[in-house]
Amino acid sequence: MSGALGQIYWLLWKDLLLEARRRDNLLSMFFFGLSLLFLFSFAFEISSENVSRMAPGLLWLAFMFSGTLALNQLFQGDRENDCLDALLLAPLDRGAYYLAKVFFNFSLMFLLEVCILPLFGILFRLDFWHLLPNVLLYTLLGTLGFSVVGVLFAAVTLRARARALLLPVLLFPLMIPVILATVRTLQIILGAGMAAELTPWFRLLVGFDLIFITAGFLLLEWVLDG
Amino acid sequence: MSVRVDSVSKVYGFLWALRDVRLEIGAGEWVGLLGPNGAGKTTLLKLLAALAYPTAGGVELFGQELSYGNSPLRRSIGFLASGNHLYDSLTVSENLRFFVSLYRDDASADERAAALTEVGLHEKRDEYVSALSLGMRCRLGIAKWRLVRPRLLLVDEPYGSLDPSGVDVLNRFLETTCAAGGIVVLATHDVPRLLERCTRAVMLHRGRIVFDEPRQDPWDSFHHAFDALLSQDSGGPR
Repeated sequence: MSGALGQIYWLLWKDLLLEARRRDNLLSMFFFGLSLLFLFSFAFEISSENVSRMAPGLLWLAFMFSGTLALNQLFQGDRENDCLDALLLAPLDRGAYYLAKVFFNFSLMFLLEVCILPLFGILFRLDFWHLLPNVLLYTLLGTLGFSVVGVLFAAVTLRARARALLLPVLLFPLMIPVILATVRTLQIILGAGMAAELTPWFRLLVGFDLIFITAGFLLLEWVLDG
Repeated sequence: MSVRVDSVSKVYGFLWALRDVRLEIGAGEWVGLLGPNGAGKTTLLKLLAALAYPTAGGVELFGQELSYGNSPLRRSIGFLASGNHLYDSLTVSENLRFFVSLYRDDASADERAAALTEVGLHEKRDEYVSALSLGMRCRLGIAKWRLVRPRLLLVDEPYGSLDPSGVDVLNRFLETTCAAGGIVVLATHDVPRLLERCTRAVMLHRGRIVFDEPRQDPWDSFHHAFDALLSQDSGGPR
């Protein structure tokens, strides 16, 4: 494999290997997400009538907060021993670097969601297994939206002193369309709504993902080298 | 000239790290960059590596203006940062494989093994970098650049971490690079060791070049300038 594709492969290989050895990101995301879901399930008395309206929002809050933990650590491995300088020194396509980080963050989030979704069903007494393909499709589209924006802003705040605080402040307002669309689609799916109701939200999610993945791909060079 | 530094200045906040630095380096030269702490040696190396922007002036490499971001010129630049630029949680061979793959995708396993043997790290190929000493990390850096073969090799303070055999490995590699028409710019405080090998010495003080002479034996003019520099205040704000 050569060119930008080869670079994406090797960057992803490196990030996955580092994560497999350290496991700190995935474990902290999982336990944080799980704790939030427990807290939400105890804090809100959700009746069976309104569970399909409330639970998706709580699920996505848990995903978003856990995902922000992962984004704060996203470039940590590259910052150690000035490895980021070594990457920027290389003839590395900055767009490839961005895509590799998006795929990596997306993989972590996807693993988290695969672990959390069954527990979510148990905690909120939701039987959505027959709706799983649709639930997964919109969850993945929302996760991709979270990753494409999150990676770009994690890079923007990379050299900021208070980046752990700055990242959510910048990220969360931009995430409103994704959260709104994903929560709304999950409400429709769990509430046995009409498939036609999903179409505008589907378009919004796909459009958002495409716009920000293009923006991140083109802008990362300016963010990192600027 | 292969490297042309044209009236470069670099300011960090209110601190002038470099002031109006002009330098021309030809193919095959081994330039020793000397000076006290805070003289601007590492800043100059970073500017040559396009890892920092000059506040004023420009850098030209091999006839092309050095641009920032991903530029084809980056294939020609190597930066051996003593003990740095390695992932602690990857093994020696994984680090080598990863970093070399960013420059060339045709490096075979045999080539990588030969490079590790050359620097004396073959037996440690499966050890994590976190378990290596600073000198061994430096040797791994040498193995990496031996495979990449950059035309301009920047080396930052390598002698402090290397044992005598490691210094021999490094010097052999740097001499091979120069013999092949490459350029070496090496920043160090180890003046005697550097003066044994380099073809030219450049001394920085408070961000300015205060001495720039080709190699000559004995180095009377260099020692005179260096002693004069040491007698001055080498620290403090600029």
